[in-house]
Amino acid sequence: MTPQNGSTGTLGRFLGVVMGLVVLAGCGGSTTSSSNSSSPTPVNNTLALEVNLGPANNSVDMAFASVTICVPSSSNCQTIPNIQVDTGSEGLRLLSSVVTLSLPTITDNSNNVLQECVGFADGSYVWGPVAIADIQLAGEKAASVPIQVISASPSFAAPSACASGGGPDDNTVPALGANGILGVGVFREDCGAACTPASSGVPALYYLCPNSVCQVSTVPLASQLQNPVWLFAQDNNGVLISLPSVPAGGEASASGSLTFGIGTQSNNALGNAQTYTTDASGDFQTTYNGIAYSQSYIDSGSNGLYFLDAATLGIPDCPDYPGIFYCPASTVNYTVTNTGLNATTGQVSFSIANADALFSNPNFAAFSNLGGDNPGSFDFGLPFFFGRSVFIGIEGQTGPNSAVGPYWAY
Amino acid sequence: MKAIVAVFAVLVLGASPAWAVLGQYESSVNLDRQYLRGELREEVRQGYKLHEITSPDGSIVREYVSPAGLVFGIAWQARVMPNLQQLLGSYFTELQQAAQSKVRRRGGPLVVRTDKLVLISGGHMRAFHGRAYVPSLLPKNLSAEAVR
Repeated sequence: MTPQNGSTGTLGRFLGVVMGLVVLAGCGGSTTSSSNSSSPTPVNNTLALEVNLGPANNSVDMAFASVTICVPSSSNCQTIPNIQVDTGSEGLRLLSSVVTLSLPTITDNSNNVLQECVGFADGSYVWGPVAIADIQLAGEKAASVPIQVISASPSFAAPSACASGGGPDDNTVPALGANGILGVGVFREDCGAACTPASSGVPALYYLCPNSVCQVSTVPLASQLQNPVWLFAQDNNGVLISLPSVPAGGEASASGSLTFGIGTQSNNALGNAQTYTTDASGDFQTTYNGIAYSQSYIDSGSNGLYFLDAATLGIPDCPDYPGIFYCPASTVNYTVTNTGLNATTGQVSFSIANADALFSNPNFAAFSNLGGDNPGSFDFGLPFFFGRSVFIGIEGQTGPNSAVGPYWAY
Repeated sequence: MKAIVAVFAVLVLGASPAWAVLGQYESSVNLDRQYLRGELREEVRQGYKLHEITSPDGSIVREYVSPAGLVFGIAWQARVMPNLQQLLGSYFTELQQAAQSKVRRRGGPLVVRTDKLVLISGGHMRAFHGRAYVPSLLPKNLSAEAVR
């Protein structure tokens, strides 16, 4: 790669390009998608979902599930509870402290292990190697899937660019509030074509660290972290998240389900849900007070309804959570309009309560009306899911009524 | 058993230089463009000048320059979080102080409002967006909404 438009000369730090071969240890990464022409024998496609204080006893509005991983093509397996279900990311990421299996890793031909750094919008990040595991979710299986092992004591220090979001690393249970993250968003991979060798510009996501010097690396699609759902033999076109309604004051916990497939079994029919396709970024448009906000999204990994700001809404931030949570004197109701790329339009109503009042009971973890600032955008976080059935259609996968992901339906 | 064989191309990047852009003179925009290896588009607008850098991976960084020649704001749309240490320069410490204190809020956007820096960072994997500006450097009569 050469710098483009290098009018002031090629920068010395672009030292060159190294090519290498990568062989995935392990086996049979068959990634065929099932067609609808034959009906496979149905499997259990439902995983229990629980909203509670989580493994660190410090989480609110986070949804957890148990995930089973196995050494590829073996019966050497481990079930890990308290994995956060996140529709805002793709791929399985596990804290190294909770993984007891010895998993093969992805390496280049010099035996350098592929590493990944993921920065989140809140400035925090996770860093660690990419390993290979079979993933079992309820009765569904995906073989030889790249996963990230988030490391508190990594073989290589995280590159400085990794911490360039300004926040802390999320490499412990208290920091992450979970044992790991199961990313089941609208994409197949966590990076996509931009990170492949064919890309003309590679984002700083994957790294190789020869001689302990970490360098951004390209990665073929199949070696990137995968939303495991699209790799299933069936029920692979998306997921359905269902959570019950919770009382206005919140409650200690809420039990729902993560169901695989859309319109593939009797328990995941679209029913009356409207389908909203997204743009290439996975976003849609939300209109409030006559103003359209085009970078809106649904993210079960965000633990609140994060939208606009106190001045725009005319409600105060909490004095103890400035720019973080809203604290209106009394609960405020909002109705906004969401519009998909396919021009589907529908109203969404929700409430925002006083966050300090919600938090006054330290045993409560499930709130449908917790919200805070996100100037210029709408992030429909976990509270959006309470009392709804929300479908997430994966890119390139076909759902009911010939809808092709990425889309949302609710 | 089938081994998957693939090819890696490795970009070798040296140590991160001490870039400083926000609050610096317009010439620092060019350093950013080189770092981002992007194409630069310039546009003169009412009351300020906009530099838009588009990288080969499609990410966009916009830098806003005041009539006094100082970068008073930045905005981004990118597949991964941009290197805010580079883009914020000396204002990065303001972000660090705010981002290090995670209080109950998780996995969502970040809003920083201090006397020195206003920053909003949002989005999700494969689609991050945000903006930052220095209130004291905003040109007179220009709304902060211009930085987007």
